[in-house]
Amino acid sequence: MSQCNSPKKEYMIGFILRRLGYGIMVVLGVVFVVFFLFHVLPGDPVGVLVGEHGSKEVRENITKDLGLDKSLPVQFAYYLNDLSPISVHTDSKAHQEKYKYFTLLPMGKRTLVVKYPYLRRSYRTNKKVSEILMENIGATLVLAVVSMFFATLIGIVFGIFAALNQNTFVDYSLVTISVLGISTPSFVMAITISVIFGYYLKDYTGLSHIGSLWETSVEGTTLKLKNLILPATTLALRPLAIIVQLTRSSMLDVMSQDYIRTARAKGLLFYRVVAKHALKNALNPVITAVSGWLASLMAGTFFIEYVFDWKGLGYTIIKAVEDRDLPIIMGTTIFIACIFVVINILVDILYSTIDPRIKLK
Amino acid sequence: MSSFSNEEENEVILDVRNLEVSFSTDNGIIKAVDNISFQIPRGKTLGIVGESGSGKSVTSLAIMRLIQEPVGKITSGEIWFDSPTLKRKINLAKATPQEMREIRGKDIAMVFQEPMTSLNPVYTCGNQVMEAILLHENVTKKEAYDKTIELFKKVRLPRPKKMFNSYPHEISGGQKQRVMISMALSCNPRLLIADEPTTALDVTVQAAILDLLQILHEDKDVSIIFITHDLGVIAEIADDVMVMYHGRMMEKDDVWNIFDNPQHPYTKGLLACRPRLDVQMRVLPVIDDFMEVTEDDSIIEKANHKYASVGEALLLNFVTEDEVEERNRELAQKPPILEVKKLKKYFPIRKGLFQKRPAPIKAVDDVSFQVYPGETIGLVGESGSGKTTLGRTIMRLIEPTGGSIIFENERINDFKGKNMRKLRRDMQIIFQDPYSSLNPRITIGDAILEPMRLHGILANNRQRKDRVIELLETVSLKPEHYNRYPHEFSGGQRQRVVIARTLSLNPKFIICDESVSALDVSVQAQVLNLLNELKDKFNLTYIFISHDLSVVKFMSDRLIVMNQGKIVESDYADNIYDNPKEEYTKKLIEAIPKGTLEDIRKAQLRRRLGKEKKNNNSAT
Repeated sequence: MSQCNSPKKEYMIGFILRRLGYGIMVVLGVVFVVFFLFHVLPGDPVGVLVGEHGSKEVRENITKDLGLDKSLPVQFAYYLNDLSPISVHTDSKAHQEKYKYFTLLPMGKRTLVVKYPYLRRSYRTNKKVSEILMENIGATLVLAVVSMFFATLIGIVFGIFAALNQNTFVDYSLVTISVLGISTPSFVMAITISVIFGYYLKDYTGLSHIGSLWETSVEGTTLKLKNLILPATTLALRPLAIIVQLTRSSMLDVMSQDYIRTARAKGLLFYRVVAKHALKNALNPVITAVSGWLASLMAGTFFIEYVFDWKGLGYTIIKAVEDRDLPIIMGTTIFIACIFVVINILVDILYSTIDPRIKLK
Repeated sequence: MSSFSNEEENEVILDVRNLEVSFSTDNGIIKAVDNISFQIPRGKTLGIVGESGSGKSVTSLAIMRLIQEPVGKITSGEIWFDSPTLKRKINLAKATPQEMREIRGKDIAMVFQEPMTSLNPVYTCGNQVMEAILLHENVTKKEAYDKTIELFKKVRLPRPKKMFNSYPHEISGGQKQRVMISMALSCNPRLLIADEPTTALDVTVQAAILDLLQILHEDKDVSIIFITHDLGVIAEIADDVMVMYHGRMMEKDDVWNIFDNPQHPYTKGLLACRPRLDVQMRVLPVIDDFMEVTEDDSIIEKANHKYASVGEALLLNFVTEDEVEERNRELAQKPPILEVKKLKKYFPIRKGLFQKRPAPIKAVDDVSFQVYPGETIGLVGESGSGKTTLGRTIMRLIEPTGGSIIFENERINDFKGKNMRKLRRDMQIIFQDPYSSLNPRITIGDAILEPMRLHGILANNRQRKDRVIELLETVSLKPEHYNRYPHEFSGGQRQRVVIARTLSLNPKFIICDESVSALDVSVQAQVLNLLNELKDKFNLTYIFISHDLSVVKFMSDRLIVMNQGKIVESDYADNIYDNPKEEYTKKLIEAIPKGTLEDIRKAQLRRRLGKEKKNNNSAT
């Protein structure tokens, strides 16, 4: 076995490095597009901060403070310099405080440094963007992972079930329900579920129609897992419906393959044929769908978070766009782009472990 | 039981009585197997021969109870099997799923046609063989592993330990079929069903697999049901032969009688319509020369039949050597229509991260030859020999890496635009698969008309339409077929449509790339005859590409044998067959199952000797 694995491992490292390289290009592209798009859009962050009645002087000060007085390309260059882990800064106490860097190579007044990517501070609250991200990502992550986990699990089971009972009542009902699931908009679903289970049936379900993962009250912050149920269910419905359909058609395709007949000719139990020989072959399209959904759910889901008052990333982004709060928008976008890159690499590796015919290139 | 042979030899292990299998389709219920009865004695091989739709595979799947239910089901009949596992005779048609699972893989094992798709791509070969052993025998993983390696050695797989960890896509087709056979033999079955096990393989690989099955058969004492469409293969391996047609049994006899003195007209037709290596024939006899289907759906000998017997069919079509020589002389007098000089086509391989740049695959490697007007050049070789790439490179469907292609005294390598369009008209290609080379959404009339419109042949669509109808008649289809879609036609009819489409541009030169390989033998004979007729009628020149040496020999004036991108040998077809100069050509010719009585005698003798040797061994 070991002699089999070693060349594969070598490929794997090369593959990951190469894909990370591409990933950085992707993130840079995203930074570029979002940065310039933001400045094309109408609206004025200073106006939002100062309000309608601010004096001209105050406005100018703030503009200068935020670096908005410089030309766009210069602003962009500064932003990239802040973002880059290896960058050049004027060596000063204030900067040391701001970036927390390690000096690599002093160059007169300036210095080449290594640091964590600096995402700047929110225009509005002056809070560090990285802190804002950290505060909100937990809730989104939990919501996304939990709902996708159940959607995948139940979706695959239902999908297999429908495929094995093709053209029966069970199959037709599952397909019909899943079409319904795919075609209902998420906000309609969110409101309906929230109202029915969190309001009318509150006495039976014991669930609240709004609430976050962490709830702050007089006694301090407490974890409320119960609040997860309704938003996670709502969020899971669409991916669940799609996974059911994908698994079903993929399974139907695989079950008619010659190797399934071979497996049956061996005398295997039917469930072994399905679980061992069919499922592994049927999974690839499902993985593609699951990973795509997972990545986009991590980007936050505004409607669900809004309806259930769930404090997560989607909520933060919408707020930031309303406020024209560039650092938050940039920070979250970069973060989401990174998530997509990483998930895509993981999925490709997963493909190649499930199907030996797929080579990492 | 009969008294003249001993008890053991006549012990019947499988007794199929009046089996009937039906499938419910959109067009009502179809009987795929209609009242079939046969018996298999212990240690004997029954060959089931038939063309597609004859019900031969369905019969075998019925025995295994692997028919897709509820679409298809056994509607009546009994399948009595003497099961060693259950230690009793059991009617498989009525067996419970539980009983069937015990029998499948253990008492009755199966080898399927397509080794490429019959192994699960995501598990290693070893895993899949070991699975069967672990399932049926009470052994540890280590013992199962050892047994698997042992089996791999027995089926002569190279480097068995490495094979164990190989995935199916990493090994060749022949090796995959060996893995399938080792899987089938893993639990010492009493009955092995081999469903076209060599059809998808090259002839030399086929010969090796047949050899292997023979040997295993001799020392394992297993009975075999060998299903095939190829009478040559049957002659090599079977003791008894059953001929099937449209779900019904036409004839059943021992192999010698079937070949020496076939009784049923269908069998006669089947035997006569195979192209032969030993004699040059003018026209291939077809099944319709021998039989016809009456109105009440029974098959009878044709009343005023063309040929009384298979031998007569051959004699009447024999081309003498003088005639062949005369024709060859005539052909060589004109200047060549096509000249290929030092043609190369290389496919680069992607470089790995830490590797040196690998050498490219040389699919066509320095190939030169000439084709004279009116002649047919046969291009023959095994899979991967580069014959298809050569054909496509000549047409510039693939751009050559080097060398020149000269067509009618013009170098066509750099042709563009108008020149290229003219060339496309003059040079046409007929592909292998008539199913995928017709667009399912276009009526066949329009499919034939389209190239004429594109090339501006004839003044208007009405004239073109008349021409299409004329062409349909030329290829023996009917004018009323104009508005039908491809799915309404059989494979042979579709290939006729493709041929008509090719002819619509009045080409001078046609490349037939495995054009009859996907067709049944009887249909193949008709299409080959048609191609020859058209050649004379329209003054065509062919390059005929095929893996089947006997088909190529029938069609061609001269042969080119290819291997690994290079020309191994090229000469007049008779010369190549009579005295091949190269080792590779000899091997290729030897590997073809010819189905002559001489071969059957040898095969039977060998089996008897093998049996005796085994009996002697066990006695001492």
